[in-house]
Amino acid sequence: MKTVIRTNNLSKVYKDAAAPVHALKNVSLEFIQGEFTAIVGPSGSGKTTFLNVIGGLDKPTEGSVVIDGVDIATLKESQLFDFRLRHIGFVFQSYNLIPVLTATENVSFIMLLQKQPKKEMERRAKEMLEQVGLSDKLDVRPGKLSGGQQQRVAVARALASKPDFVLADEPTANLDTESAFNLLDIMARLNKEENITLIFSTHDQRVIERASRVITLVDGAVAKDEAFDR
Amino acid sequence: MLITLAWRNLWRKKRRTFITVSSVMFATILAILLMSMLSGMKDQMVDSLVRTSTGFLQVQDALYFDEPSMDHSLEYGEEVENAIEMHSGQISFTVPRIQGFCLASKEISSRGVIVTGILPEKEDLMNNLSSNITEGSMFGPDDSFAIVAEDLARQLELNIGDTIVLLGQGFQGMTAAGKYPVGGIIRFFMPEQNNTMVYLPLQEAQWFFVAPDRLTSLIIMTDSEEEVAPLAESLQSHLDDEWYAVKTWEELMPDALLAFEARDAQVKLFAWVLYIVVGFGIFGTIVTMVYERLREFGILLSIGLKRWQLATICLLETLFISFIGVSAGVAAGFPIVYSLFVKPIQLTGELADVMIDMGIEPIMSFSIAPGIFIYQAMSIFFIALIVGIYPVKKVFRLEMVSAARN
Repeated sequence: MKTVIRTNNLSKVYKDAAAPVHALKNVSLEFIQGEFTAIVGPSGSGKTTFLNVIGGLDKPTEGSVVIDGVDIATLKESQLFDFRLRHIGFVFQSYNLIPVLTATENVSFIMLLQKQPKKEMERRAKEMLEQVGLSDKLDVRPGKLSGGQQQRVAVARALASKPDFVLADEPTANLDTESAFNLLDIMARLNKEENITLIFSTHDQRVIERASRVITLVDGAVAKDEAFDR
Repeated sequence: MLITLAWRNLWRKKRRTFITVSSVMFATILAILLMSMLSGMKDQMVDSLVRTSTGFLQVQDALYFDEPSMDHSLEYGEEVENAIEMHSGQISFTVPRIQGFCLASKEISSRGVIVTGILPEKEDLMNNLSSNITEGSMFGPDDSFAIVAEDLARQLELNIGDTIVLLGQGFQGMTAAGKYPVGGIIRFFMPEQNNTMVYLPLQEAQWFFVAPDRLTSLIIMTDSEEEVAPLAESLQSHLDDEWYAVKTWEELMPDALLAFEARDAQVKLFAWVLYIVVGFGIFGTIVTMVYERLREFGILLSIGLKRWQLATICLLETLFISFIGVSAGVAAGFPIVYSLFVKPIQLTGELADVMIDMGIEPIMSFSIAPGIFIYQAMSIFFIALIVGIYPVKKVFRLEMVSAARN
């Protein structure tokens, strides 16, 4: 099985507070292709920081993040932008779609940045929106979609460009039960069909119950790392 | 894609965009009106000034400008005629004059005057001189009476039919002396002209100054002020500069030129104050737009948009707002300016009196020179570009994580 991400002694210290805050402490983990991982832990345990660091949005104070054999700390900012664009998909808690673009345009956006051929882009965007059950909302802007529908568009956007892995920061936090289950069903199916590695930070028991691996962070350190056969 | 995003972003908050575009539009209209009025009035002042004094261009003897005496008058011969003929396409008409300082007297009163020999039909083309006659009539080619300025006539107690005695310096040391019946009284707007001018028919004046076929200046008029400089250069190249000098109105009236330049500087300063006010209006909107969207910027950068792409979107938004505002301003401003150009505002009251005293027709003229519209558009774009630096700078300094958490 291919290792997609490997972290070595990852530490992150925020020094701008009155006292230094150790958000991550010596986190060493490996993520295998196709894994559905939930990062859990109480608020302030370092879940979001961990996702930011492995997503190349934030730099670690110590340690390294190796993705697809590349230590991302060695990349210049412009290289890191390109790297993120080609390897990582993001799903955020608050959907974060581009309000002036339609559902199709939002899903195509990353592929557009990757300069994929227009026809392929349109085909893939349509296919992804069909997969998340929004084939009737192709030309609708986010403002006219419900929260659950917007999050499904965000998932379609993250997966459309076929990234190596998708980082999802509490994606079900703002969704009602039905929408959350719906979204999780879609993500689980896509995880299997597209063999995309999914890493969630979450408090949501519904997500945890679906994950094949659950990593518990406490005070920035790995407290538990459990695998499940699901 | 960047253009589409920028364009659509503008219409996310239609009311705000509408207000900003409106402020740019009204500022543009105001700036166009202001610049058109000031430019129109300047053209009018230049035109009035040159028509009532030096004309746009003069051919003179090479030494006359520094030592204006009859000995430095010009022989209007073949060389000058040929040069004028060669440029006939650029010249509207010419006005010959012979002019000298003299003493004018009637009985025991005397005054220093300027005696000018003219061809009335040519002067009428230039400044409609005959229309200023308040008593008597303008002389014809065969007449030999004088026309005297109104205030001078009052000072010397001259009436139609009285005799004015003139004494001065003629050509090559000859005495210029003569007595002429007063056949007309003429009124000038400018007091210095109204106190000093005496007109004689050109031939009579040449005889008076003992300078047959000589002129002190040959005035050349063009259709517009823009043609003056190239025509002067070309004319001079066809005349021997040891004998002839071609002078523009700017060279002949350096004080007037300085006054116009000072006025232009004031106008530009005022216009830039206006532009800065517009700039702050746009800046306010842009700052609000940026701060409202910091989180969105963070997200866009997170998902793969490059900083320069995001900066371009922000800059395009600023430029779109400016472009729409400026275009609307020009579109709305042009008909207003054009109607004022066709039908200038007639001035009354004290302002009109001041203008009349200055020898300027009391109307508020407007200019429709393309440069006015282009200059406004370019200036506001320039300001928009400067304002556009702010979001660009913000984007390049943005920390993705903190912005996305915003």
